[in-house]
Amino acid sequence: MRRLSGRFRSSLIIGIQGIRARKLRTLLSMVSLFLGVLAVVVVQAGASIAERALLADLEIQQGYDGTRVMDMPMQQNATEVLTATVRGREDAVAMLGVSGIVGEPGVLPVNPGGAPLDQDWGPAMVCNDQGCEPAPGVKGQAVEVRLTALSGDVRKFRPYRTVSGQWLDFTRMPSMSPKLVLNQPAADAFEQYRVPAEMRVGGAAANVTPQFVGVVDDGDMQPRAYVRLDELTTWLPPSRMSDPNTGGEMRLLMTQGSPVEPVVSAKLKALGVEPYVQTIETRKEQEKQLTLMRLVFFSMAGLVLLIGVAGILNVGLATVGERVEEFALRRAVGTPRTLLAGIVLAETLLTGLLTAAAAIGASAAALKVVTMLVGDSQPILRDVQFPWEAGVAGIIAGIVAGVLGGFVPALRAAGIPIATVMRA
Amino acid sequence: MTALIELDGITKVLKGQEQPRTILDGVGLTVNAGQSVAIVGRSGSGKSTLLSVIGLFDRPDSGSYRLDGQEIAKLPERRAAKLRSSHFGFVFQRFFLLKHLTAAQNVAMALVNGQGWLPRRQRRSLVMEALDQVGIAHLAKSRPAKMSGGEQQRVAIARALVRDPKILLADEPTGALDIETGTLVIDALLAATERGCGLILVTHDRDHAARMGQIHDLVDGVLTERVTVR
Ligand SMILES: Nc1ncnc2c1ncn2[C@@H]1O[C@H](COP(=O)(O)OP(=O)(O)O)[C@@H](O)[C@H]1O
Ligand SMILES: [Mg+2]
Repeated sequence: MRRLSGRFRSSLIIGIQGIRARKLRTLLSMVSLFLGVLAVVVVQAGASIAERALLADLEIQQGYDGTRVMDMPMQQNATEVLTATVRGREDAVAMLGVSGIVGEPGVLPVNPGGAPLDQDWGPAMVCNDQGCEPAPGVKGQAVEVRLTALSGDVRKFRPYRTVSGQWLDFTRMPSMSPKLVLNQPAADAFEQYRVPAEMRVGGAAANVTPQFVGVVDDGDMQPRAYVRLDELTTWLPPSRMSDPNTGGEMRLLMTQGSPVEPVVSAKLKALGVEPYVQTIETRKEQEKQLTLMRLVFFSMAGLVLLIGVAGILNVGLATVGERVEEFALRRAVGTPRTLLAGIVLAETLLTGLLTAAAAIGASAAALKVVTMLVGDSQPILRDVQFPWEAGVAGIIAGIVAGVLGGFVPALRAAGIPIATVMRA
Repeated sequence: MTALIELDGITKVLKGQEQPRTILDGVGLTVNAGQSVAIVGRSGSGKSTLLSVIGLFDRPDSGSYRLDGQEIAKLPERRAAKLRSSHFGFVFQRFFLLKHLTAAQNVAMALVNGQGWLPRRQRRSLVMEALDQVGIAHLAKSRPAKMSGGEQQRVAIARALVRDPKILLADEPTGALDIETGTLVIDALLAATERGCGLILVTHDRDHAARMGQIHDLVDGVLTERVTVR
């Protein structure tokens, strides 16, 4: 143990002496290696950033991996069954989507059907038993949102990011005037149209004045407003939510193995409703796609790294050739051959690590500059941190290059005969 | 008392050419602690080859080599490296100093070789002591390029002495020096023998050879002691 640490220290001391004595050489090795390590760091950084961004969006839009999602058509009895079953449960949250028009009374919304503001989904329709026809009236200062009623805190399943204000508070008593949390498109729409805040919901007993308490990022393009189900039901009973002109999706998010699932399924089947259930596996699926992409990019980066290794190898061999006398002398004073090899390896390893440090520093700095310059227009680049995986990849690349580039020179150095070199 | 070095019938044959050439032919030599031995002979007579066998750079093809009474003629390289570090100090005609290191670092090189580990402070005091022994402690921080030949050779001697060797091997150490500095170098080597170190000096210089306790002639690989008539 002591001998090993003595050798380790010796090779480190001598290696550093060697590097300091040949600064230009070291610099040239680093230059030849820099691009290779940089390529590895950049590929890993890109992969990590892309993966994180994609996964974060997917988790917001679809849910964490393992979440059970049950979709069903909105139907009068089904709504009641669902809301009654999940009431007060921690392991399941029901999401009921209805249409809500917020704004000037009596006008058509600027975005019929709750379309994103920059899209046209066709005119507003009214339907009855005879069929559907365009709704009468003119467009005014009103925005149609998907009003999504939540039976509990859905953020257990989907990590909506709070942009401003607060998220819905499910712990306090339901309020008489509903508190709404908007998503970003809805917030933008209200910003743009400065609508008077009155909300019409088909089937509701009366129009109400909602309170906007916050804005979240839910990854959706459609304007949406979130509301507590128990607050909505005080003026829109579940039985009236299934109005064909307003009603929409009904969804149940559950933990895996939640007892709610079989109960709701059974009850719905009894009503003749066939629910569709799936498990969220976004991360898994994403990983499959990313693995292939990463493989392609890493092979290219590896190739560039290999060229750098050839550079280190070249410089290393030339250096050993020049240092024949030094190595013979070191052997003469009792330096074991393994330590000589260790010295050469230590030098290339240190060179590799220095290069890695330079490449990591350069890409971290570049990322900082890029996020500062275009971060505002590219949400994917907004406050991204330099991923630690990229740093690790760079260090590994530096070590691998150092070992590969130093191995042959190290063997050469260990094989130098003393007698021939030192003969006077 | 056992001799420090005892060679008997040492033979070294050079292979590789069309016919093998015998470089050392049954060499016998005994050196005791504190003894000094000169080896003289024509160029190409095998003096350096003999030193490299004694210094364990190379192994003899046959014969017996006892160091401190231990037979080491067929020593594996790993143990030979250890013995080079613990028993031998080497001085060559060319000084073989490392250009990028200071005098002190050049001397410390013999300590930083993986054979055991000394703390920095202890290393420094050993290095300064060795430099002091050869009278150049004031040059500790200079690099070889700034030193005269005699000074450089004394750095090399300090490097040989720093591990407190049992035997010094010097291969024409004054060959590249003028008479005066050469004499200083021999002084430094002889001073070590007074502390009980053995010395084997290969030299062309009669005067230097005459200062040694014994003189041996090497002629075509055969070593014979010269009986000096003083
Ligand atoms: N590695 C070698 N390759 C070729 N010839 C060698 C080698 N080693 C020694 N010799 C030959 O062996 C002889 C003795 O060499 P050496 O011991 O250096 O003599 P000296 O030091 O007495 O001048 C010389 O003729 C030399 O050419
Ligand atoms: Mg010679």
